[in-house]
Amino acid sequence: MHITCEVAALFSPRATTIARGVIIGGLTLLVFIPAVAMGWVRTPWARGEHHAVAQPVAFDHRVHVTGLRIDCRYCHADAERTASAGLPSTNKCVACHSRTWMSAAPMAPVRQSLETGRPIAWARVTQLPDFVYFDHAIHVGRGVGCETCHGRVDRMATAEQVVPLTMGWCLDCHRNPGPRLRPLTEITTMGYRRPTADTSGARLVAQGDHIRRLTDCTTCHR
Amino acid sequence: MTTIAAPRRDGSRAHAQLERYPIMRELPDEGTLTTQLLAPLWTSQPAWKWLFLASGALSLLFLFAMGVTFARGIGAWGNNIPVAWAYAITDFVWWIGIGHAGTFISAFLLLLHQRWRASINRLAEAMTLFALVNASLFPILHLGRPWFFYWLIPYPATTGVWPNFKSSLPWDVAAISTYFTVSLLFWYLGLVPDLAAARDRAPGRTRRRVYGVLALGWHGSGTEWRHYRVAYTLLAGLATPLVVSVHSIVSLDFSIAQLPGWHSTIFPPYFVVGAIYSGFAMVLMLMLPVRHVFRLHDVITRRHLDHIALLLLVTGSLLAYSYLCEAFGAWYSGDSFERYTMLTARTRGPYAAFFWIMTAVNVLTPQLFWWAKLRTNVVVLFLAGVAIWLAMWLERFVIIVASLNRDFLPSSWHLYAPTWVDWSLLVGSIGLFSFLFLAFLRWLPFVPVSEVKREQREIASESRDLDGVAPEVAR
Amino acid sequence: MSRRYDESDGTREFPPGVADPPAWVSRRDFLTLLGAGAALAAGACMRRPDKPILPYVQAPADVVPGMPLYYATAMPLDGYATGVLVRSDTGRPTKVEGNPDHPASLGASGALEQASLLELYDPHRTGAMRAGRRRTTWGAFKAGFAPPALSRRVGARGAGLRVLMPPTTSPLTASLLERLRETYPEARTYFYAPLESPARIEASRKALGTALVPQYDFRAADVVVALDADVLAAGPFNLRYAREWADRRRTEPSAQLHVVEPTPTPTGTLAARRLGATWSAIGPIAAALMDTLGHDARPTGHVAGASTASLAALTPEARAWVSAVAADLAAHAGHSIIVCGERQPAEVHVLTSAMNDALGNVGATVWYTPPAVLDDGGPAHDLAALAAELRSGAVDTLVILEGNPCYAAPADLELSRTVGAVHNTVYLGAYDDETARVSAWHLPAAHYLESWGDARAYDGTTSLIQPIIAPLHDGRTTDEVLAVLAGRPNDSAHDLLRDAWNRQRGPGARMDGESDWNDALRRGVVSGSASARSTPAIRADAVAQATAALAARGATRGQIEIGFVPGRAVHDGRFADNGWLQELPDPVTKLTWDNAALIAPAMAARLGVATNDVVTLRVGDRALDVPALVVPGHADGAVALAMGYGRQGAEAVARGVGVSANALRTSSAPHMASTVAVLPTGRRHELALAQTHWAIEGRGSSIVGEGVEGQRSAASSVPPRKRRPLTLYEPNPPSPDGFGADQWAMVIDLDVCTGCSACVVACQAENNIPVVGKDGVMKSREMHWLRIDRYIDGPPDDPRFETQPMLCQHCEKAPCEYVCPVNATVHSEDGLNEMVYNRCVGTRFCSNNCPYKVRRFNWFDYNAEIAETERMAKNPEVTIRARGVMEKCTFCVQRIRDAQMASRLAGDAVTRPVVTACQQSCPTHAIVFGSLTDAESEVSRQFGDPRSFSALEELGTVPRVRYLARRHDGDGTDGAGGRAR
Repeated sequence: MHITCEVAALFSPRATTIARGVIIGGLTLLVFIPAVAMGWVRTPWARGEHHAVAQPVAFDHRVHVTGLRIDCRYCHADAERTASAGLPSTNKCVACHSRTWMSAAPMAPVRQSLETGRPIAWARVTQLPDFVYFDHAIHVGRGVGCETCHGRVDRMATAEQVVPLTMGWCLDCHRNPGPRLRPLTEITTMGYRRPTADTSGARLVAQGDHIRRLTDCTTCHR
Repeated sequence: MTTIAAPRRDGSRAHAQLERYPIMRELPDEGTLTTQLLAPLWTSQPAWKWLFLASGALSLLFLFAMGVTFARGIGAWGNNIPVAWAYAITDFVWWIGIGHAGTFISAFLLLLHQRWRASINRLAEAMTLFALVNASLFPILHLGRPWFFYWLIPYPATTGVWPNFKSSLPWDVAAISTYFTVSLLFWYLGLVPDLAAARDRAPGRTRRRVYGVLALGWHGSGTEWRHYRVAYTLLAGLATPLVVSVHSIVSLDFSIAQLPGWHSTIFPPYFVVGAIYSGFAMVLMLMLPVRHVFRLHDVITRRHLDHIALLLLVTGSLLAYSYLCEAFGAWYSGDSFERYTMLTARTRGPYAAFFWIMTAVNVLTPQLFWWAKLRTNVVVLFLAGVAIWLAMWLERFVIIVASLNRDFLPSSWHLYAPTWVDWSLLVGSIGLFSFLFLAFLRWLPFVPVSEVKREQREIASESRDLDGVAPEVAR
Repeated sequence: MSRRYDESDGTREFPPGVADPPAWVSRRDFLTLLGAGAALAAGACMRRPDKPILPYVQAPADVVPGMPLYYATAMPLDGYATGVLVRSDTGRPTKVEGNPDHPASLGASGALEQASLLELYDPHRTGAMRAGRRRTTWGAFKAGFAPPALSRRVGARGAGLRVLMPPTTSPLTASLLERLRETYPEARTYFYAPLESPARIEASRKALGTALVPQYDFRAADVVVALDADVLAAGPFNLRYAREWADRRRTEPSAQLHVVEPTPTPTGTLAARRLGATWSAIGPIAAALMDTLGHDARPTGHVAGASTASLAALTPEARAWVSAVAADLAAHAGHSIIVCGERQPAEVHVLTSAMNDALGNVGATVWYTPPAVLDDGGPAHDLAALAAELRSGAVDTLVILEGNPCYAAPADLELSRTVGAVHNTVYLGAYDDETARVSAWHLPAAHYLESWGDARAYDGTTSLIQPIIAPLHDGRTTDEVLAVLAGRPNDSAHDLLRDAWNRQRGPGARMDGESDWNDALRRGVVSGSASARSTPAIRADAVAQATAALAARGATRGQIEIGFVPGRAVHDGRFADNGWLQELPDPVTKLTWDNAALIAPAMAARLGVATNDVVTLRVGDRALDVPALVVPGHADGAVALAMGYGRQGAEAVARGVGVSANALRTSSAPHMASTVAVLPTGRRHELALAQTHWAIEGRGSSIVGEGVEGQRSAASSVPPRKRRPLTLYEPNPPSPDGFGADQWAMVIDLDVCTGCSACVVACQAENNIPVVGKDGVMKSREMHWLRIDRYIDGPPDDPRFETQPMLCQHCEKAPCEYVCPVNATVHSEDGLNEMVYNRCVGTRFCSNNCPYKVRRFNWFDYNAEIAETERMAKNPEVTIRARGVMEKCTFCVQRIRDAQMASRLAGDAVTRPVVTACQQSCPTHAIVFGSLTDAESEVSRQFGDPRSFSALEELGTVPRVRYLARRHDGDGTDGAGGRAR
C-alpha cells in the first residue's frame, strides 16, 4: 500500500493514462506509417499524373489533332520505326507554319531555333527510368494505341501524363494484352471503342505468341 | 569399460559438488538484500568511466567504418570474386551465435525449472540483446545497395514483385527480427519489478521519475504478480523454439548453396550447438568479472560456474562430433570437390592455420571440465571463455572464406585479405557491445532482485520442510 | 610507383577509390550518402526533375535516333589494313566489327580492332596544336610549312627536310610522297616501326631474286609447321589465317599444327607437337628438318643432300620433334605449310622457302606477292641512317608523322636527344608522348575513325578509310600534313583521296569512278586490287649459303638469350593508353597492367627467382629491372620481354605501366640479343595476374572435357562419357509451340579456340563493361563477363595447355537463381538466365553459389567519373550498371530482343538470326550461338556432337553453354605435345 502512495507522489494522476496512450499510440504508428507510405505511392500525386507540363512553345494538341486532324505519326514520325517516337524537327514545324502564324508571338522559340540552329528544349511529359527499355515500334506495330498510354491527347491543351507508369501497370497489359489491343488501322484513333466481340487483339496476340512471352524481365530490363 | 565408467564416476562426483556448493549462500533479509543488489545503480565504479569512454570511442570507429562502406561501396572491404562474403558475414554469424545463450538460459532453463538460472539470466539476456543489435546491423551493411534492404521484406509493391521465398535470406530477416523482438520483450518484462524496486529506492526525484516511467507503474500487487508470471512463462515458451529456429535458418544461408564446405545437411544442429557454445563462453567472460567487481559471490556461487562449465563440456563435445560428421560426410560422399575442400584445402590450404587453431581450441578446451576442480576455477573458466569466444569467430571465418576461396574451377581461386575497414567493423562491433553492456551495468539492475528473492524464499521453505537435508538433494 | 599519383585522376581506367584504400570520407562520399538517403526516402526511381528532349533543328536524311548504322572502313596497323564495320548510334561510333568482304578480316575482328574504339574516345588525346609552348593553328602551320616558306628553311631542293613515319601501304600516301620528291628532290623519307624486320625481304631477295612476301592458303593445308611464328594470333593476316586453319581443322580433323617457339603463344598452345627452343636454336632445327626431309620428301634438286650431322647436333627433344614433324610433312607434301616468324634471321626464311618449295607447297598452299609496304626492307627503313643524319646536323626540319619513334627507337640511337637537337621538328601524334615532348611543333593526329584515307592489306587489297565521326580534337591525317609539305596546303584529306582515286582511274572515267567510289566505300574494299601472285623458282646456291651460314653459327649454348616480343595488348606501345587492352589478360600468362621477364621453370630454379621477384636484365652495358614471371613451356635459356610498356608520355593510363624493352634494344639487335645476364635483385613487384592458379588439380575431365585421344582421331571416334545427373524434375524441353519458341544456347569449340581474347574485348565494348585498374585485378575484381581460363598442367618443360572461354553458362537449373532473395536473377521463357540490375540489392549470394564464378559485382561506382568522350563510347542498348549490383553475361540479350521485335513486326515465322558480340569477333568461328528449337541450326547440330560436353556436368546445372572437347592428336604416350594425362 505504501508503494502506491509513493508512486502517486511521483506522478500526477493522469500519468497512467498518458503512459497507456503513448504505448498504444506508438504501436499503432508502427503499423500506420508503412500503411500510409504504401498508400501514397499509389496516388496520382506520387506518380506525377495529371500535372500539365509547361512547354517552351505553347503547343496545343487540341488544335492540331482535333482541329486540323493531323495524324500523330506526322510529328512523332519514328513511333513506328524505332524505340523513341521522336519529336518534330524545327524544320517540320516551319514546313507548315512558314505561311501561317510564323510571326505570331507563341512561335518565337521556333523562329529563334531556326535562326540560331539551336534545338527547342521540350519538357518531358512521359518519362520512364533509364533502366526501362521501352520500344514504341513494337507497341504501335502490335496494336497498342497511342491513347492507351498517352490518353486523350486530342483534348489536352498542354500534354500531361495520365497513366501511373508503374511496373505493375505495365505488367497488367503484358500479362494479358488481348483486351487492350486494337486493329492496326485504329492505332492513332482517339476515343476508340472496341466493338463487342472484337477479336483483333486476340488475333494479334496469337500471331505474336510464337515469338515469346512478355513477362520476362529482359523484355524491358537489359 | 572405462569410457562408460568415467561419466558415472564423474556423475557421482558432480553430486558431491552440488552438496558442496549451494545455489545461494546464507543471505540477509530481503530488504537488505535488495539494497545490496541495487547499490551499483547509485554508485559508479572508478574504472567504469574509462571503460565506458573507450568502448564509446570504438563505437564511433564502428560508425565511421559504416559511413565509409555506405559512401564508397563494398569495394572498401577486401571481398572479391570468389570470396564475395567474408568478414561481415563472419561477424554476423558470430554475434547471432553469441545471442543464443541468453534466451537459452532464461527460457530453456526456466521451463526446465533450473532455478540456478535466476541470478545470471538478466546478465545473459542483456548480452543476447546487445549481440543481436550487432548481428542485425551486419546483413544490412553487407548489401551492395543497403538503402533497398526493405525489398527483402514481403510487402505489396507497385512493381508487383515479391521476395524470393526459395532463398533463405528473406527467412533470415524474419527469423532475426522475431527473435530480437521476443528477446527484447522477455528481457524488459523481467526488468519491470526490479525497475519498480529501483524507483522506490532511488535517491533523488529525477531518477525515481525515470525508473518510475520505465517501471510502467508496477505496484507488486498479487494480481500483477499473477499476470506477470503467466506472461513470463508464455514468452519463455515462445522464445524456446526460437533459440533453435533462428540459428537453423542462419545455417541455411550456407547449406542451401551447393558450394563444397557449405552444402551439408548437418548444418542446422551443428550451428545451434556452436551458437550456444559460444554464447556460454561469452557469459563466462562477462559474468566472472562482474561477480568479482560487485562481490556477488553470495548470489553467483560456484554452483553456477560448475553448471556453465558442464554446459560448455556438453555443447563443446557435440560441436566436436559435428566437426567429425562434416569431415566424414565429405569423405563418404565420394564427391571429389567435397573431399578436396574438407580434407585437403581445410587441412593444408592457405587457411589451414586458422582451421587447426579453431579445431584445437573448440574441441580440447571444454575437455578440461571433466575435472571438477577446473569447473570452479575462476581463472581457468575465464581464459577458456575468451579462447572459445575467439575460436568460434575463427570457425565461422573458416567455414565462409576457406570454402569460398577454392571452389570448383581452379581458374577462379583467389585469396582474401581484409582491409582496415573490415577490421574496424569487427573491432567496432565489439566496442558497441561493450558500450551497451557497460551502460546496462551502470543504470539497470543486472541481477534480477525479485527472482533472487523468490528463489531464496523457496529454498528456505524447502529446507524447512525436510530439515537437515540439503535443499538440492530434495530436488 | 609514380602511377599512384596518376591513378586518382578520375579517369575510367582508374576509377576513384580503386587505386587507394578509402581514406577520409570526401565531399563526394558525403553527397553519395545523402543520395543514398534520398533514394531510401524516395523508395524507387525519381521521375522529376527530368532532362529536356532536344529534337533536331534540321533532321538528317538517314539518321533515325535509336537505329544504328554500319559503315565500312579499315584500320591500319603497321601499315597493313584490316577491314572493319563500325556501328554508329546517332553519329557516335559505338562498336567495331569485322568486315566479311575484307581479306584480312573475313568478318572477324581482333582485340586491337575492337579496342581501337576506346582509343578514339581516349580523354588523354592531344587537344590542341602547339608550337613551342604556345597554342597555334592549322593555318599557322600551313603558312610555315608550305613550300615557299619551307624552302627558305630546307633549301630549294629540300636538302634539310626529313620525314619519318611508320611503314605505310597507302597508295594516297605513296602518291603524296612522290609529289614531295618532285618538289624537294633531296628531301628524304624514312619508315620505322619497332616490330618490323627486314629479314623476310632480305631472304626473298637472296633466294627468290626479288622482294617478295609469302602468302598462305591454310584451307588447303593438312600440316602446318610454325617456326617461331604466332601465325594464328599475331601479324597482319592473323585473323584470316586463324579462320582458314580452323575451317580446315573442322572439316578435316587430321589437319595438324606443329610449333617450335621460345615463349608460349596462342598458336603454340594449339599445337599437336610443340617444342620449346631458344631463338637461336630454331635455325639449326630448321636445317635439321630440311636435311631429314631430304630423306623423306620426294627428291628435288633443291634440297641439300641427306646429312644427319645437323640432326645429331640437336637435343633429344628437338630430335624427336624434327623426325616426327618431318615424317608428317613428307606424308603431306603439297598439302602443308611451313611458316617462319618475322624475328628469325634471313637464313631461316631462306630454308623455309626451300622446304616449302621442296615439298611442292609453292603454287598449292604457298605463293608469293610483292610486299604491300612501301619500299619494304629497303634503305628507307633504316632508322640508324636517319639518326646518323640527324647527328651530322644536316637536317633542319624533321617531320614525324605518328609512331612515337622517340619511345620506340632502340636505346643506342638516343633518338630523343638527337631529335631534340634538330632545329625544327614537327610531330603529328595522337598523344602528348615522348616524341611530342622533344618536338617544336605538335599537331593532334586524327584517329582512323575520324579520317579519310586508304590502306592496303597484306595481300595488297586496297581499302578506303572513311570517317565515322568528325575529328574530336581537330586532328589531321598524315596525308594532310604531307600535302602541305608537297605544296597542296588547302586540300582536305577527302579531296586528296578523291583526286588520287580519279587520277588512278585515268581521265574520262569520272562517272564510272563515282559508282566505283561508292561501291568501294560501301564494301570497304576496292575490288580486284590484290597483288599478282608469283611462284618463282628458288636459287639452290642461296639455300646452300644459308645452310652453311647456320651451320657456322650454330646454337648459342650456355648463354641466356633475350627476345623482345610484341606486347600482345599494347602492340608496340601504340595502345598503351587503352584501358581495355591494359586490362586484357595475356592469352597465355593472364598477365595484365604490366610486362614481365618470362622465363622457364627450370631456369627460374637455377637462378633462384620466382614470379614477382624483380631481376636485373643486363645486355652489354645496358640494364633494366623487370619482375620475373615463370611460365611452364617456356624455352630454357631464353627470356621474353614484351615491348610497348614503360611509357613516359603524358598519358595517364600508359605512364609507368611496366618497363620499356627499348632500353635494351639496339639497332644492331632490335629483336633478340644473344647474351643477357639475369641477376636477382631481392626486390619484389606484385604482378596483376587475372588468374593466379594454373594447375587443373586433376579436375580436367569435368572442366575441359575428356578430349578425344588417339592419333588422327576423327570427330566421331570416341563418344564422351555423358554425366547427366539424376533429378526429380523433368528437364525443361524447348517447347516448339506456344510461348518461348526460341531456346538460346551456345557452343564453344575448344579444338579451334586460340585464346586470342578478341571476344573478351568485343564483349567489353558491346556491354559497357568498366575497367577496374591494376589494383582491382590484383584484388580479383575484374568485370569481364567473358574471361578465358588458362590451365597449364603436366611436365613444366613440356606442359599441356588448356584454353577455355568461360562466361555465364545460362544453366537450365541455375544455382544463382534460387538463392537470390529479391528475384533479381531469374529464368526467361527462352532459356536465358536473366540479371535484373535495377532489382538487385547486392547480397552476392548468387556469386557464391555460381560454380563457374562468372558473376561480377560493382564494388565501386565505376562509371561515376568517366570523361564525356568516354560516355560517347557506351552502347545505348545496354544499361550502365550502378554501384552495388551484380552483372554477368546476358547472351547479348539486347541483340536477341531487337531481332525478336524486328521479326515480330515483319511477321516472320521464326526469329531472325542473332549474332552475339563474342561470336561476331571470333576469328576461328569457335563460338556458335542460336536456338535449340531449330533442329537445323548449327548450335543444335553441335549440341549433339560426340565431342560436346558441359563444364562441371556432374553438378546438374544443365548449362546452355556446351563445349566441344579438344582433339588431342599426339599418340597419347610421348611427352612431345604433352598429351599424357
